[in-house]
Amino acid sequence: MTEKLRRYEKIDFLGEGQFATVYKAKDIETSKIVAVKKVHYLTMILQANKVLAFIRGNFMIKVGSRAEAKDGINRTALREIKLLQELRHDNVIGLLDVFGHKSNVSLVFDFMDTDLEIIIKDNNIVLTAANIKAYMIQTLQGLDYLHYNWILHRDLKPNNLLVNSEGVLKIGDFGLAKFFGSPNRINTHQVVTRWYRAPELLYGARLYGTGIDMWAIGCILAELLLRVPFLPGESDLDQLTRIFQTLGTPTEETWPGMSELPDFIQFKPFPGTPLKHIFTAASDDLLDLIASLLNVNPLERCSCDQALQMPYFSNKPAPTPGARLPLPTSVKRQPEEKPSLKRKLLESMDGASLAKRLQF
Amino acid sequence: MDDQACPRCKTTKYRNPSLKMMVNVCGHTLCESCVDLLFLKGSGSCPECKIPLRRVNFRVQLFEDPMVEKEVNIRKKILRDFNKKEEDFATLREYNDYLEEIETLIYNLANNIDVIETNKKIEQYKKDNKEQITKSKSKIGRSEYELEEMIELEKQKEEERRLEIVKEEMEAKKKKIREKEALIDELTFSEGNAKNIVETFASVMQASKKEQKTASSKVNQFSTGIKFGNQGSQNYMPIPKIEEGPLYSYTPIRQGMDGPTPPSWRELQARGYISHVRVESGAERAGGFKAHVACLRALQESMAGLYYNPSQRQTEFTTV
Repeated sequence: MTEKLRRYEKIDFLGEGQFATVYKAKDIETSKIVAVKKVHYLTMILQANKVLAFIRGNFMIKVGSRAEAKDGINRTALREIKLLQELRHDNVIGLLDVFGHKSNVSLVFDFMDTDLEIIIKDNNIVLTAANIKAYMIQTLQGLDYLHYNWILHRDLKPNNLLVNSEGVLKIGDFGLAKFFGSPNRINTHQVVTRWYRAPELLYGARLYGTGIDMWAIGCILAELLLRVPFLPGESDLDQLTRIFQTLGTPTEETWPGMSELPDFIQFKPFPGTPLKHIFTAASDDLLDLIASLLNVNPLERCSCDQALQMPYFSNKPAPTPGARLPLPTSVKRQPEEKPSLKRKLLESMDGASLAKRLQF
Repeated sequence: MDDQACPRCKTTKYRNPSLKMMVNVCGHTLCESCVDLLFLKGSGSCPECKIPLRRVNFRVQLFEDPMVEKEVNIRKKILRDFNKKEEDFATLREYNDYLEEIETLIYNLANNIDVIETNKKIEQYKKDNKEQITKSKSKIGRSEYELEEMIELEKQKEEERRLEIVKEEMEAKKKKIREKEALIDELTFSEGNAKNIVETFASVMQASKKEQKTASSKVNQFSTGIKFGNQGSQNYMPIPKIEEGPLYSYTPIRQGMDGPTPPSWRELQARGYISHVRVESGAERAGGFKAHVACLRALQESMAGLYYNPSQRQTEFTTV
């Protein structure tokens, strides 16, 4: 284990969360930059359970008892964590390695420079229609892969959509992810950050499907367009009020069975605002996508593959290639070869007829 | 602007409206009174970066951002020596390289990157191009003179144009009066229909107006030589067209199942698989759960890996 510890050379401290500390590190063997997430001892057992929940197949491994865990994580469990590496997609964060040291478990992930929240909040960045399309495609492709493998992310928000300096978006933070599709496993409805929580969760549904992730995607898309959170509810009740105020209160016809949900409350009927008035600059094909993602009835909401086949994605403008997506100024793009790309582009345009002198 | 404060004495513009911020080569600001106090002897060190400064080099800060101020100063100083003109280069590419080199030098100095190295480079350049620098300096004077001449010429042209416009207006007025008179004459003396006559006159007037409009479009010229007006559009730099990537097309996920292909969503119903699964309750359906999901997953997982043969796999490994 100590050689593993030495393999990853700490470069920088990135942040400390409730459950873990994250470092930027360099993998000495491959000289790749990685993120090492050191899970705090007390939450380790919890986290390990979450990690194990990913392992595809029918074998669920019992994590050792508390007594066992005291001297590090159970050995079989550790071996099984490695199976997480089977989950491999360009738009899903890759778990590169797992190692234990003393009583800690460290997870090694791809290093990501920034996330969508930072990009949305950065006023210096202009997000064009093509940029938004590129982000949406990457997000949906990653999520499609997860759903295909029967995994619900359950905590999608801009903050968890990580972006690296090459403009590749990866879905990260699987702290709340879970398998779905089992008819008798009761899930908690207290998942997903409130602003991105689907109405069925707010109504206390215990069995749900991919719809909750799709709703969150809809909220993220709206946030990409508006550059502010779309439905920033202050409480669960306020959240529902905001949803119905903007999208209209559902009825038994539009959402069959809604009154049977555990925490159902009848809201006064709001007519809802037409999406065209909220997203004034959005094209019609985009409005169709938003309407489909933010359908109050989860069974009518589109799935990832349906969304990706909607005309919005195949229509113009084409999505921006990853390397040309905007980045916050704090993130440096890999130095371009000389002469710089910009100059090359200009020169190929006009045959370099003008001197590029700065006028002061 | 309001929160501008002297970093040393913390006086703000609010407390002292006559506060004057000064800046020296290092780019750190000080207020005027602090400068007076610290640089009583004519030289001293910057309280922030401790580099030795001369009092005479302090100037009033023009830009709010001291970094901009610093860069502008460095640029001024460097351009005094790096004063080659486009004509001095054989190709545009060389000129652009030269300009880029200047920018690199300025950037390095402004951001304290390899300052010693950069200064050495500048000194070397000065030594190598001593003659050319002095020559270009006199040339700059000439170009400024040319500019003045151009402005003078422009003024003259402006005056001419003004007179012309006045003349044109007079002419137009006269013409209008003449036309009116002609119309009245026609109406009084001709025997045709009055309405027809008025109409023909109106159409003639309109046509002549249109003619005038097309004739009066003019090209103007700035002293910098940039043309504007609706001519010479090829003089504009073409807006760099953003290269578009390929359009997106959906490709469904394919993953090796190592087993028989499980039924699709539609086949669940058609082949009756679904009738063997507990039907979802109303609340479950409202939550977005369907029995199909559970059924599909169970079928998929029961079939996945059925063709997997561990012994085969083992041999594969040993042969490799």
